Amino acid sequence: MTDAATAEPARVPSPAPQGLRAHLRAAFVVFHVAAVLLAAMPAPDGGMKRAAWKDRTVQEEFAAWTGRLQGLGVEIEQPELEERLWTLAVAWQGGRQQLLRPFQPYYQYAGAWQSWRMFVAPHRYPGRLHIDLRRGGTWETIYVARDPDRGWLGRQLDHDRMRSVIFRYAWPQYGRAWRHWCAWVAAQAATDFPDADAIRLRYWKARTPSPDEARSGAEPPGQWIRTRTLALPDGTPLHEPEPDGADPADNGDDGDDDGDDDAAEVP
Amino acid sequence: MNPWRRLVAMLAETEPGSVQALFRIAIGLCVLGAVGTVVVAGLVEPLWVDRTFGGYRDLGRGPWLVAWLGGPTPRVVWGLVAATLASGTLLTLGIGSRGAALVALQGVMGLTWLNGHAGGSYDELLANALWLLVLSRSDATLSLSCRLRTGAWTDPTARVASWPRWLMVLQLVVVYSSTGFQKVSSYWVPGGDFSALWYILQQPSWQRVDMRWAAPFFPLTQLATALTWCWEISYPLVLATFWARRGPDRANGLRQLLRRLDLRRPYALFGALMHVGTLLLMNVGPFSAITLSFYLTLWHPDELRSVGRRLRSWATARPPAPAPPSPPGRTGRPAA
Repeated sequence: MTDAATAEPARVPSPAPQGLRAHLRAAFVVFHVAAVLLAAMPAPDGGMKRAAWKDRTVQEEFAAWTGRLQGLGVEIEQPELEERLWTLAVAWQGGRQQLLRPFQPYYQYAGAWQSWRMFVAPHRYPGRLHIDLRRGGTWETIYVARDPDRGWLGRQLDHDRMRSVIFRYAWPQYGRAWRHWCAWVAAQAATDFPDADAIRLRYWKARTPSPDEARSGAEPPGQWIRTRTLALPDGTPLHEPEPDGADPADNGDDGDDDGDDDAAEVP
Repeated sequence: MNPWRRLVAMLAETEPGSVQALFRIAIGLCVLGAVGTVVVAGLVEPLWVDRTFGGYRDLGRGPWLVAWLGGPTPRVVWGLVAATLASGTLLTLGIGSRGAALVALQGVMGLTWLNGHAGGSYDELLANALWLLVLSRSDATLSLSCRLRTGAWTDPTARVASWPRWLMVLQLVVVYSSTGFQKVSSYWVPGGDFSALWYILQQPSWQRVDMRWAAPFFPLTQLATALTWCWEISYPLVLATFWARRGPDRANGLRQLLRRLDLRRPYALFGALMHVGTLLLMNVGPFSAITLSFYLTLWHPDELRSVGRRLRSWATARPPAPAPPSPPGRTGRPAA
């Protein structure tokens, strides 16, 4: 293949356009490129929550990096690394916000905002949503995420936008939104199951299986988190005894935070 | 010529409108899919209407457009949904495309920013694409507008500014490289066991079905993890191809090598495989469809036309007809 075949056709020399419009166009393109590149700079953004940093997935990342740094001869312990990273992240976020401030109207009205933290780390301890219903004094499971046999409300709960909601609410910083979401699900259940007197929503938080565990069929241990039990049909919270394996520190009623839109990484 | 004047001259370049038109059609369909599936799933009011009116969450006054229209009530939200779907249709058909893109952009932002818990990066990428379509004369060809103007669906003489397409390419490069630079997890980076994709596939939130069956293919997921990480952080190299192609015909050294390698091809092939794999195995909304729409813009309209001609001749088993030259652009120079 010759150069001529792979290059663009020859240019026909012409004078540069001189009009004001051409210069304004160039200024706009420079502005747009600057706005895009600055916003796309790596940043922890919504991940700046101490509670989120205490999640086991995040803690394991810190542990792995501490080990690596120690392997390279750096004398550092995990709490120190975490503290240093927190200080650095706070400073970085502050500087970034200053840089982006002049562009905010452009991001807001032209939709030029950039945020590409997609699958930056696998969530090793994700929550799988379970919904149970009580009828005649007996609990039955009516929804389990990705279980084709227990798919009540699946058309809505399995939609990608509802998956984002469900993914987020397994994190601790969404207490109020989680409670409101549970109340909405309870209202749907009250319509679909008029003979039920209670609904329970909770996540099974377990380590994702390694390839060996998946081959052998072993189930990694886990625990119930964020359990909410509501009376039907009115949706009043019930204080049920914690089920076996529940985390007593995480009863689904913690915090009054609605959670940042961007606090958990969603593709 | 000083750098500013060079830039001004470069931004005056034009090209046939087919690539930006195809991008417009693809993004129009993505708008219809992104909003239409919410309607079909019966999720418009649960997700985007305030709790006072039947939604599940307190949404406050909403983003500026929703607040200006009266807040996230059913009437306002359904009005925005209708306007967004109508503008998505007009964008796909190609009539009043800049206006349609602007309405679709404000509709998408108004709706998806109402409840940021119920969305993802695909909402931002869709907004980015729609803004670039506001800047582009994307209905010059392959559009109802062209049909009404010329009596034909296509207009090979129509030329549009090249710079919106270059910004589309830049957007694609930014998406991949920015996400790559942020993949600092020990599961992604060299020195670990490259198990990120295996564990991501095991996350119940995004998988289509239970993925434990993939255990025998773990080494393949390790290879895919390593390749994905390298591919993302090195994606800016694609821009080097554009730099090389803009040089003089008789280039030497690095420029010549880059022209011959044409990194767009391997990078696009790997990306397409990755997105198809994601589509098959995971449900992450319309992200793959929107991103793949940007791939069209990696190629100059003349290159796409050449591929089309080759495909036609292959289908009819005849040698391809020689390519008619593109009408010259404003500067007389077909763009990169």
